[in-house]
Amino acid sequence: MRCTAPRSTLRKIIKNHKPQLRLAANADLLVHLNFLLFLHRLAEEARTNAFENKSKVIKPEHTMSAAKVL
Amino acid sequence: ALQLLRPKPVPKRLKTSQRKPREPQVARSLIKEIFSHFVKIPVTRDAFKVVEKCSERFFKQLSNDLEAYSNHAGRKTVEMADLELLMRRQGLVTDKMPLHVLIERYLPLEYRKLLIPVAVSGNKVIPLK
Repeated sequence: MRCTAPRSTLRKIIKNHKPQLRLAANADLLVHLNFLLFLHRLAEEARTNAFENKSKVIKPEHTMSAAKVL
Repeated sequence: ALQLLRPKPVPKRLKTSQRKPREPQVARSLIKEIFSHFVKIPVTRDAFKVVEKCSERFFKQLSNDLEAYSNHAGRKTVEMADLELLMRRQGLVTDKMPLHVLIERYLPLEYRKLLIPVAVSGNKVIPLK
């Protein structure tokens, strides 16, 4: 897995949502970590959904219902 | 499916040329890479699109939360503590799972060094409050 965080992109995304908000130094790294963990949870959830439906691949409905849980 | 796919490219191209400052977002390839790294089984194309949508929503929610947290503390800057609090609220950081363990587990060494220059214990490197 690629292991660099898109740091400036992360800052830009937050700037886009909240222009007046400033991020402390390296806080964007924790945002990245949070994002990784979010994807991790989503992935786990989607995977169990797929297994419950006896599916070997992740389909949109699996991720959809996973997203609703989170 | 072909009928649905064909008429799309033309209006799409127009749209991107019309609004030049494109909304910043995490690269699709990166989301795809991370997600498929975690699921470990094949994922359909449409499912990735759902993941992308979820990511957008995630960042929107994240910005709202961070704003609320820093405002609450009377700051205009988002501090590390705000993010730790957020992750605690999300149930990611708990007493059994401290933040620095998550950092060690998920972030590469170079970033880890920035976040934990010396092991957190006792040292005042990371301001906890």
